[in-house]
Amino acid sequence: MSDIKALNEAVIKGDIQTAVSLTQNAVDAGKKAQEILDQGLIAAMDKVGEKFASGEMFVPQMLRSAKAMQECMKLIKPQFQEGDLTSKGKVVIGTVKGDLHDIGKNLVAMMMEGAGFTITDLGVDVSADTFVQKAQEIEPDILAMSALLSTTMPGMRETIETLQKAGIKDKVMVMIGGAPVTANFASEIKADAYAPDAGSAVIEAKKVLGIT
Amino acid sequence: MRQMQDLQLLKRKRCSALPETLNIANKERIMKPLEIPTFQPRLKVLNRDQALAIHASALEILDKTGFRMEHPGAREMLVDAGCLILNNNWLRMPSYLVQNALRSAPTQITLYDQKGNKTIPLTNGNPFYGTGSDATFTLDLETGERRRAVKKDVGNFARLVDGLENISFAMSMGNPEDVPIENIYVYVFAEMVKNTNKPIVFIADSGKDIAKIYDIACQVAGSEDALQRKPFILNYSEAISPLRFPENVMERLMFCAEKKIPVCFPSGSNAGGGAPVTLAGAMALGIAENLVGLVVHQLVGKGSPFLFGPNVSTLDMKSSVVSYGCPEWSLTQAALADMRDEIYGLPIWAFAGASDAKVMDAQAGAEAMFSIITALLSRSNLIHDVGFLEYGSTSCLEMVTMANELISMSRFFAEGIPVTDQTLAFEAIERVAKGEPGSIFLTDDHTFENFMQSLFLPQLLDRSRYDSWKSAGAMDFYNRCNLETKRILSEHQVIPKPDEVLKRIDEILQNL
Repeated sequence: MSDIKALNEAVIKGDIQTAVSLTQNAVDAGKKAQEILDQGLIAAMDKVGEKFASGEMFVPQMLRSAKAMQECMKLIKPQFQEGDLTSKGKVVIGTVKGDLHDIGKNLVAMMMEGAGFTITDLGVDVSADTFVQKAQEIEPDILAMSALLSTTMPGMRETIETLQKAGIKDKVMVMIGGAPVTANFASEIKADAYAPDAGSAVIEAKKVLGIT
Repeated sequence: MRQMQDLQLLKRKRCSALPETLNIANKERIMKPLEIPTFQPRLKVLNRDQALAIHASALEILDKTGFRMEHPGAREMLVDAGCLILNNNWLRMPSYLVQNALRSAPTQITLYDQKGNKTIPLTNGNPFYGTGSDATFTLDLETGERRRAVKKDVGNFARLVDGLENISFAMSMGNPEDVPIENIYVYVFAEMVKNTNKPIVFIADSGKDIAKIYDIACQVAGSEDALQRKPFILNYSEAISPLRFPENVMERLMFCAEKKIPVCFPSGSNAGGGAPVTLAGAMALGIAENLVGLVVHQLVGKGSPFLFGPNVSTLDMKSSVVSYGCPEWSLTQAALADMRDEIYGLPIWAFAGASDAKVMDAQAGAEAMFSIITALLSRSNLIHDVGFLEYGSTSCLEMVTMANELISMSRFFAEGIPVTDQTLAFEAIERVAKGEPGSIFLTDDHTFENFMQSLFLPQLLDRSRYDSWKSAGAMDFYNRCNLETKRILSEHQVIPKPDEVLKRIDEILQNL
């Protein structure tokens, strides 16, 4: 079995120790960092995503795989030149104003990171102004908002209106999700994408950015 | 036959406590045998050592890990009382504060209906069921479609609760999209008051809207004093697990403590979500959070009523929803009932009659019944969330109607088997067995006189013969519940509030 294939399997299993040592071996053997990343790590996370979607894997197992990938990334990151590391896209994410719940949002952030996106997590109780300010500063591909309470959902509309006022609504894809959110609500407030759960957040994110 | 005679001999022997001579001489003054008390089946899931260990762990969390108190007033009060500042908002609580609070909180809470009748005495493991709150969606009674809840739905749920015998209190069952969102909880409270006279468990957002809700409640009760003496409201508030106490949540809790409005304060310490995945740890964390609430509450209003208990469900490991149909939640609340009996002595908050199913199907029935009967058998006290589908996101009127029947069935079971001369029915057995040919129990007087109280007589569960079921439309349980719900909503008359009370409520709403 090639090292890359073994690395692939270690990440899927969530075996952090083995994954890290296989990555180190590959780096020491002079394997290209991009190859380790694409074939070893991202391919593994794609498989994890599939297995999770089909119900073969549970959330903690998926998150362990994501953690294994992150640990491996620490080893190969220095191999990349500044700006060389390809990311699926930049994502700014947060729970809207008035809402202090973060489990769902954290899940989405971890899954997207595992899928190769670069995440900036603004935390909970994020105001429309903060979302817009960060969007201007970071220039993300996706701005993702979460709400657990139906009483805090209006924060999503407010953020989109503030993006419009700032003239940057067209420069970023707005994605929303959370227990009370529906596809109808998303189109009503002119969000670009809606994901009902963490698993589909990755799929929707890729879809709006045109990544296969 | 021989056996029966032996049994009678035995019984006579047991009954004749007095000497035969005296017995004959003075028949009227015979000492009667003691009645055999009826055992009422009861579920226990923790022994005393387990209960004490979970409690000890909760105290250790408060003393060692501490908690994040974001309300400056509550923080100051806790520090004055003996809490230690860890850093910034984090405090540590010594266990004597918990002991003091447990001593001053009343062990008995009584809720009254809106006419001032005592309807929910929360004592001695008395169980009462009611609906839930804040669902985003509802299943439309006419079309069966899932849609956003509107104000009229809140009214319909309250009216249905009013018309169902075994549903003892109302919650909003919805966050309607057609009322101003900044005062949503005031509007749903007013809507409930207009549509039921049963007690109401209500939600508020902060110290601001809870004051308006309180105003409405005072109008209904007649005065502030009348409301305090005979409260028909109970506030539901939650901290955020793990160990976070937001300012607006504490505002509500402190408001209620001051005004002596009964409260419950269950954080969502769900296994694998807000809390560790193991149930003992999730309970310890949830109890620790509840105890922080209790301590603040008793510091503000010594002796104010506090309903104990966290919500310990699970985070589903595939969908990451908080499950409303899982056995874990029923198990942890049964465990909490044991801890109440061993340690806390305060009435407890619980859930039942809900489901993760998306429609009212076999899964919904199975999950609803599981939690209804276990809540009853473990003697949970105030049991909410009856009628929820889709892990609490969708409300369903027919589910409430179904639960009403399932609660009847469970109550029947929990009452046990009375064993008396009348129920042993020796004479009836002898009459029928030894009687003329053709003697049957169905024609015996004993049957006529006893069947109503001896048997469970279902109203909606179908036991009809196949042909009559078919000719009556071959309806399944869901459809029968649908029809019954429609009947209740069209026929049940809620005793209306006096005009001047309604007028004042509308004035409060107009001045929001």
